[in-house]
Amino acid sequence: MIYLAPFTYPFIIGAAFMFLIVVWKYAMWFIDLPKEDVQKIKKGIFSKATLYSVWEIFRESLLHVRIFKRSLPLGYMHCSLALGWFMLIVVGWIETIVYLGNSFVPLYGHVFFRFFAAPVLTEHFWILDFLMDFFLLIVLSGVFLAWIKRFSSRLVGIRRTTKHVLTDRLAMSFLWFVFPLRLLSETVTASIYGGGGFLTGSLGELFAAFLPSQLLSSLLMPFWWCYSISLGGFFCFMPFSRYMHIFTEIPLILLRNWTLRPTLDEKSYDKFEIQACSRCGICIDECQLQKVLGIENVQSVYFLRDKRYHMLRLATAQNCLMCGRCQQVCPVGINLNTLRLSTRAIMRNIPSEQRYNYFNGIDRSCGEGRVGYFAGCMTHLTPKIKISMEKIFKAAGEDVWYADSEGSVCCGRPLMLSGETDAARKMIKFNEELFRKHKITTLVTSCPICFRVFTEQYNLEGITVLHHTQYIASILRSGRIALSPEECSYVYHDPCELGRGCGVYDEPREVISRAANLMECSQNREHALCCGGSLSNFVIDDFQQQKIASSVVEHLLLSGAERIATACPLCRKTLSRATERRVMDIAEIVSERLT
Amino acid sequence: MIMQTDVVVVGGGVAGIKAACELCQAGSKCVLVERDSVLGGKLRGWHKLFPSFTSSSDVIEELLNELKQSNVECLLGSEVVYISSTLCRLASGTEIQCRAVILATGYNLFDARIKEEYGYGIYDNVITSVDLERMFHTGTISTLSGAAPEKVAILHCVGSRDEKVCQRHCSKVCCITAVKQAIEIKKMLPNSEVFNFYMDMRMFGPGYEELYLTAQKQYNVHFIRGRISEAAQLPKGRLQIKAEDTLTARPLIMSVDMLVLMVGMKAPKQNALFALATGLELQPSGFISSKDLFLEAVLTSVPGIFVAGTVTAPKTIGESISEATMASRAALKFIEG
Repeated sequence: MIYLAPFTYPFIIGAAFMFLIVVWKYAMWFIDLPKEDVQKIKKGIFSKATLYSVWEIFRESLLHVRIFKRSLPLGYMHCSLALGWFMLIVVGWIETIVYLGNSFVPLYGHVFFRFFAAPVLTEHFWILDFLMDFFLLIVLSGVFLAWIKRFSSRLVGIRRTTKHVLTDRLAMSFLWFVFPLRLLSETVTASIYGGGGFLTGSLGELFAAFLPSQLLSSLLMPFWWCYSISLGGFFCFMPFSRYMHIFTEIPLILLRNWTLRPTLDEKSYDKFEIQACSRCGICIDECQLQKVLGIENVQSVYFLRDKRYHMLRLATAQNCLMCGRCQQVCPVGINLNTLRLSTRAIMRNIPSEQRYNYFNGIDRSCGEGRVGYFAGCMTHLTPKIKISMEKIFKAAGEDVWYADSEGSVCCGRPLMLSGETDAARKMIKFNEELFRKHKITTLVTSCPICFRVFTEQYNLEGITVLHHTQYIASILRSGRIALSPEECSYVYHDPCELGRGCGVYDEPREVISRAANLMECSQNREHALCCGGSLSNFVIDDFQQQKIASSVVEHLLLSGAERIATACPLCRKTLSRATERRVMDIAEIVSERLT
Repeated sequence: MIMQTDVVVVGGGVAGIKAACELCQAGSKCVLVERDSVLGGKLRGWHKLFPSFTSSSDVIEELLNELKQSNVECLLGSEVVYISSTLCRLASGTEIQCRAVILATGYNLFDARIKEEYGYGIYDNVITSVDLERMFHTGTISTLSGAAPEKVAILHCVGSRDEKVCQRHCSKVCCITAVKQAIEIKKMLPNSEVFNFYMDMRMFGPGYEELYLTAQKQYNVHFIRGRISEAAQLPKGRLQIKAEDTLTARPLIMSVDMLVLMVGMKAPKQNALFALATGLELQPSGFISSKDLFLEAVLTSVPGIFVAGTVTAPKTIGESISEATMASRAALKFIEG
């Protein structure tokens, strides 16, 4: 068989261009990886993690199980395009091998096999024809859904679809034409030479019956040309568009299973995460800034997009509650919060070196004990919580060293959230030394914001860090305090930093159910809403925060509970401003029910 | 029950009373509706008025006398549940048909418990400006233990000019009230020390600036530019406050015996309900919008509904009373066609 046809050139050029660019990109990213990451790759490459990755790649890059879980039509759309196209390639290869044995076939010979083979093939394997047509139909149904999604995203299971940039639109336009043109090309080929499966074959017969054969012959080449051009065009734009995710998700899954992660300092690995974003837009629906305030251009998908194309504005980077709801639903599993933090760190102001001179020699702690209590600044602004904790410590007979009752150095998390990572590290170092100096073995905090940075960023070897709900749960279990339950129902609001941030969901519930009746709202635990008072959003104003808080209160009260319980001073402050009902921290509930 | 009248005046504070008097004196029929069981509104809680230290009971008495002579029909203990320019429905089910309405529903005090960091309702000896006026009424200022405070801090702008509690507006009268109260404390307890923590001193009225100077020169009241960030309880009912003196750019920690919070004026929630029912426009602060700030200050976006007093913005007693006169005139003009 002779594989020479000028119409294949656009495809060949496009494919070669794409291949070069993608390889060049990956090579650059790998070369730039920091040493620790390279070590991790060396350690992970011959481990079970690699095998697991293959399974995950099949599950997520082809089947798209996570998107299916989110929405059936949306999952089907992604799956049909990815798996359908992949199967067309696989069955296509099998087809050439079956027909031609082991003789050499160039890449475009596989892709345009029907064109080259139809005039010379004498016998057909119906099963191959059937499979090729079947998968083509699957892909076409996916393309059809993609069209529908552009007109009405709701029909495909998401409320908002992403607004795309020019390269995306160009790549997408080419992609939309690839498979309809393939159908037409193969149909016309079948109408002239016979063959084809239930789709192209039957359509071909129909064409042959109703259209003059001269017309069909004159259409043959233009269709194949168009098919080749649309493929080539798509490949040309692909490395610069969101479709870069098709390939990038594969190395990302491998690297992630080899334990590479983005950090607070930007690094080369981030590029894999950023370019693995398919801009599916699932994060947009999840974002309360969108749902409640109608802010539509700051969500993670836009943040990653703008960062990738170097058009990120400070106002976009800073307009985020960092609640982590988007990260929870991201089908690619991108570490959206960390990427945003490391970006903020690059865009930060550089403060004067003298700003933290006040650290020198300050230690305003008081009391003595193996248990340290760090109330946190938000708890100082909600003194009822602090007083409640003091009461609980007393009831439990605990000797407590109060780390910050007379003032302290900040835990560092607020600065970290604003991108001032260096300053935060200064505070972390100071506090680490302070905690060690007082030889505590347990550190209790009332603030999930502090709790998160203590567990994630502090080096506190030998010190058990507990959120006060965990501490209270433990002293309740061991019988050091007892409660007289009240006939009152509470719905528990999961604070972002405690729940999604640190994975503490059960202890707060355990404590509430020992003190009163616990009720649940539908969006709880991993899917809990953000109160809106987040420290990490520097753009929305207090009126907008209160609007979010009101929507959260409304949702919480749908549970039928009389009161709202939470475990974060900031959530408690924010929510109580949005309702007349009592909003209480778990420490307050417990201190009122102590016997 | 269905009643008929020319004008319904909603709210029996100083503005409402004055408006009702003016309407009756001009010969039109008028009903004054008040939610409380007594007339006089928020002024009843005040002891003396700035800047002249006029007794507030004198002002109320004068207005009530005028009301008695004007033969106004007063419905006390009556809450308005629905209002339009021709109908006023009360919680009791009574409907008042009318030709015009004057809204003089006033303001609510900001709930100081919302600024939990100051510890109102949590710590002893954190009080509001209203609590202090109550003490002036009784004639003694004392901490919870009964002792006279030696050191008092007065914090301005609690619930005013504070984005954090969605109260962007200035409550206008608290600065001068704080000056007045500081002087009154010094008059009663000459050996005490009084510190005012302010953002700006807004001495807009006649004699206010002079009073501010008097407070400093004659009474030795201290003024520190900076807000208090938080308060904490110390032993024996004392309080520790943290602030920043922004003129010296230094953080400041002070122990005091009493902390007075100058609570601001907040738009009542029912403004939004009235607006929804009638089409009245609201300002972002929640107060009702006047039709025009200059020429039609007592008119609203709805013909037949007029406004007087703090229903549109924080005002002084004098301003509220003058506005009531204007509103009643405008209402008369409206019903006479």
